[in-house]
Amino acid sequence: MYVAAKGGEEAIQQAEKLYHHLNGEVTREQVEAIRDHLPYLVDRVMGEASLYAPDLAALAIAQSGGDLYEAVLLLRAYRSTQPRIAYAAPVTPDELLTVRRISASFKDIPGGQILGPTLDYSHRVLKMDVLDTLNPPTSLQNGHYHEASEETGLTPADRPAPRAYPAVADWQRAQGLMAASPKHESVDPADIPDVTSDTVLFPAPREHRLQALARADTGGVLALGYASMRGYGLIHPTVNELRLGYAEIMAKHPVTGAQFSAGRARVSQAEVVTSDGSKAGLSIGFAATLGWNEVKIIAASTLDLEMNQPEPHPAHTEEFVMYHTEPVESSGFCIHFKLPHYVTFASSVDNIRKVIATFYSSESKLQPERAEAQS
Amino acid sequence: MNRLAALAAPRQDYSYAFLDAYAKRELRRRTLKAIAIPGYQVPYASRELPIARGWGTGGLQVTLSLVGPESIVKVIDQGADDSVNAANLRRFIARMSGAQTTTDALKATIIQSRHRIPEEILREYQALVLQVPDPEPLRAVESNSSRAHEMHAEADYGQMWLVLYEQLVRYKQYIQGASYPSLVNGRYVISPSPIPRWDTPKLHQSAHLTLLSAGREKRLYAVPPYTDVYPLEFDDIPFQVEDQRGWVCAITGVKNKFMNEIPQPDGTSTYELSDTGYMEKVAPADATRTEPPGATYYDEQGNFYHDGYLKPPIQPEL
Amino acid sequence: MSAHPPYTTSEARSRETFLALMWALSYPGRTPTLPDNADPFALIGDTLLDLETSFYTPDAQIRARLAQTGARLLEPKRAAYHFYAELDDSALATIATANIGTLSYPDQAATLIIHARFRSDSALTLTGPGINGSTSIQIDGIPASFWTMRERAAFPLGWDVFFVNDKSVLGLPRSTKVTLE
Repeated sequence: MYVAAKGGEEAIQQAEKLYHHLNGEVTREQVEAIRDHLPYLVDRVMGEASLYAPDLAALAIAQSGGDLYEAVLLLRAYRSTQPRIAYAAPVTPDELLTVRRISASFKDIPGGQILGPTLDYSHRVLKMDVLDTLNPPTSLQNGHYHEASEETGLTPADRPAPRAYPAVADWQRAQGLMAASPKHESVDPADIPDVTSDTVLFPAPREHRLQALARADTGGVLALGYASMRGYGLIHPTVNELRLGYAEIMAKHPVTGAQFSAGRARVSQAEVVTSDGSKAGLSIGFAATLGWNEVKIIAASTLDLEMNQPEPHPAHTEEFVMYHTEPVESSGFCIHFKLPHYVTFASSVDNIRKVIATFYSSESKLQPERAEAQS
Repeated sequence: MNRLAALAAPRQDYSYAFLDAYAKRELRRRTLKAIAIPGYQVPYASRELPIARGWGTGGLQVTLSLVGPESIVKVIDQGADDSVNAANLRRFIARMSGAQTTTDALKATIIQSRHRIPEEILREYQALVLQVPDPEPLRAVESNSSRAHEMHAEADYGQMWLVLYEQLVRYKQYIQGASYPSLVNGRYVISPSPIPRWDTPKLHQSAHLTLLSAGREKRLYAVPPYTDVYPLEFDDIPFQVEDQRGWVCAITGVKNKFMNEIPQPDGTSTYELSDTGYMEKVAPADATRTEPPGATYYDEQGNFYHDGYLKPPIQPEL
Repeated sequence: MSAHPPYTTSEARSRETFLALMWALSYPGRTPTLPDNADPFALIGDTLLDLETSFYTPDAQIRARLAQTGARLLEPKRAAYHFYAELDDSALATIATANIGTLSYPDQAATLIIHARFRSDSALTLTGPGINGSTSIQIDGIPASFWTMRERAAFPLGWDVFFVNDKSVLGLPRSTKVTLE
């Protein structure tokens, strides 16, 4: 029973047990398999949760049976119990250990177009032989990195790739096609607005906007971004630069003061540009997130550009985008409609009965002011 | 002797009452401002909790910032203590704070509620924490929250009155259901949360403190004790509570309290008290544990305890 | 069921101080008790201040103590929490510049914490939210000009005040109307 006179507590415990019975218990091996074999899924959850923790993200995915909104909530709820113990040094694109960097703006760019790991040009054909129990393919062992070899089919490059690549926008700025970067002043990291602990007010500081896009729901950002791209937007975005790479997270030791690396995080960033014909040249939209998630950052950087327009479509205002792409809030509110609402419903029924008594009872000669539709 | 483990504090997964010290301080600072400015929606950060957003996380954060081991907590949903979500929230609060729990509205020091205010008159130094899905009473006339915020700043409520006027023109009566917009301390219009109209007058000149918190929308507001709260109404057409005259609780025989209507297979309805804590006192399941009910906001004849506050209904002329 | 996380001494003091402040502001004129044997400024500082907020006090000793909370010391017109051991002329001049909030964000107004002695004699009559009808109090050491200055900001603007003595607190939200007898 849904609202039992005495059974509520017992009912919710049994319901949770039933879930585990149906879906099985989570094991360490499963979590490791998710972490190693589903890196893009783990990345997506870490990005939306704003917590870089592959093991915990994999655990959240396993524990929620792959329900991504549940997984993100699990990770976020954990995150909110963790104190901030230090501020990492800023990560700049030209220091990123870049594995993939492409630009749609030019045929070739300084440093070169680097395709890197991608399925972009693969044929989307299901490899049925994987399911063939008699002749399992040999190349699929585990998700760890394979050395370039005959077995993986990878050909080693003639020379090692450069450690870093210049930004495409730097060339455009030098050409006068784009306004110069704002003067880079060092800021106290404690002064940087933080969307996870500040109250969000509009117009939002740029930091809040970029942080909100970084942790936004991938599907939500895509839906709104796609609406802009498809024609409701005021801009035509060109992908100026898309990068996937590893960011070295540098922090200062709290006691010795020495800089040290706290590890590397997979990150992605995108930059789209458009021109409104003004003297300033190209204007730029930017987004970055934890993990590799290309769809999200292309859509998000388009939205960033769109939100800067003077009179954007109502679905592309900063308030609209930031509120409605929040994965935990939107999914939580959506499923809250499962909760009983019979008190509010009773209040509405009371009004319906009064209106019926007023206009539609046998004694009433009144008609509602606005006639019902003719159909 | 001097082992590292001996120097380190024992592993602690969570802070007391789950929220860390920063989150508690922030909520407490905001709560004080909310009390100082009755009805004003104070923005706050709103942490993620291990409960889905939209399931009472706003109320829960406020409760967690108030609760201590000596607290006595009551949690209700739709008036029921044993509703599954109320049971879940109560279990979480008790697990994180060691607080006692109760179903008795008069014994509780903190009452967290979704959609109801108990029938018994709450007393001084009780905190009623209402979960709020949408704190913005202007949402229906202005969906942009920044613009709605400015309307509150300017006390620009003309559009709210227009909506009520249109209802009167079209339907001869107000057709706002729950969350009836109400003016607090003569200045701010609030959503009293989706409580039925039956409960809205209970906020007026109450002895207890009411804190309203929307976790998803990140807004917190208060109705302090002994503060004027008036539902929006025109002088000649009074605000009316739900008309449940003649409804009798099938379990207790009580009348003139808010009832759940239970549809029957034969097309009729039966009724039962929505407030299960009150029902327990009127008709205790365990006859040895009788606790007489306290005074109620509406007496047995349905009269509200502040004389003259509710005006008799005016039936539209047929 | 596993034991709840520990209710530490500092947790308890902060919570009890907060509850005293909350009830003081909810029932203006009443004087809830603060936790024992502690400097009320330190208690309130530890309860409300951290690196996310700011304070001002003219008193060097109090300043040193409040700085331990991590809160930033700011000039009076920008500081969120003001602490005064006494209301002399210079303190009054400072309070005159304190933030009263804006119509858009009245919650950004300053909170003043002032050391005072109060009794239930009738010198001031209070009415407004939190007061059942009216109530009378006497607060010693508050110059009349303080009340005049307070009157200048019309609700919802204005600062909120906590008067503290060694063991209790009296709250005066901006919503309270004060009449001098």
